[in-house]
Amino acid sequence: MESKNILVVDDSRIMRNIVKNTFATLNIPCTFFEAPNGKEALSMLEQHPIDLVLLDWNMPELSGIDFLKRVRAMPQYRDLPIVMVTSEAARYNVIEALKHGATDYIVKPVNERVFYEKLSKIIQLQP
Amino acid sequence: MEKYIKPFVDASVGVFSSMVGLSVTVGRPYLCEINSPHEWDISGVIGLTGQARGAVVLSMKKDLALSITTALTEKAQQEINEDVVDAVGELINIIAGNAKKGLESDFKLVISLPTIVEGPKHRIAWPLEQTRIICIPFTTGDGNEFWLSVALESQQGA
Repeated sequence: MESKNILVVDDSRIMRNIVKNTFATLNIPCTFFEAPNGKEALSMLEQHPIDLVLLDWNMPELSGIDFLKRVRAMPQYRDLPIVMVTSEAARYNVIEALKHGATDYIVKPVNERVFYEKLSKIIQLQP
Repeated sequence: MEKYIKPFVDASVGVFSSMVGLSVTVGRPYLCEINSPHEWDISGVIGLTGQARGAVVLSMKKDLALSITTALTEKAQQEINEDVVDAVGELINIIAGNAKKGLESDFKLVISLPTIVEGPKHRIAWPLEQTRIICIPFTTGDGNEFWLSVALESQQGA
């Protein structure tokens, strides 16, 4: 499989590392890019050909949900897989994210099984 | 108020177990005063707004904060540093975010970004002077104690 570029967006450096380590268990060749908020994630998207975004919700500068709304308004990112990885577990949060174009939704704490079930399919479906 | 405590208890037990690998036992919750004296070294605070207003605070001694951060970073931690602040902030963020699920039939809530307060006898400024604060004591399997304090007041019909 071709190596994938994964953008991990979370204001917690510890959580970015946990997300990267958990994703690594999928054994999918990849390069990680990181951003601590939605604003920096937008610049990352412009600079690198990202294949998948793993996106936290609560962040300073630009939240995950606002990042999602902005990115989905740009035609070139309409089909970019963006998976929320967030502590926000309420159903109304999940519905709001999906309504605004999230590809899928993972509730923290993250675990390998959920990552595998949700992400391996998304990655493998990519051209 | 007390019926709103269970989602926070369940979230705390789940987060400590699955994220840090620590089993915890829950003590009997009790009412505490706004400025109750305490021995904690660090607290993570999350504000709650929306259909209810309040805050949830996770407080612990330095040793437990270091041990949790060591587990999360896989790097021995000796002092309170930015990794420890990050770890305590993320723990309270996940507890508050997970607890929202258990409260979704009662309130639609928005959680703030975490704030960390540290130092001996540090003081938490609670947003609601009239609201009762419930302290929930926890003990980890290796004998460390921590507190979760919750104050939540409905804004519905206010």
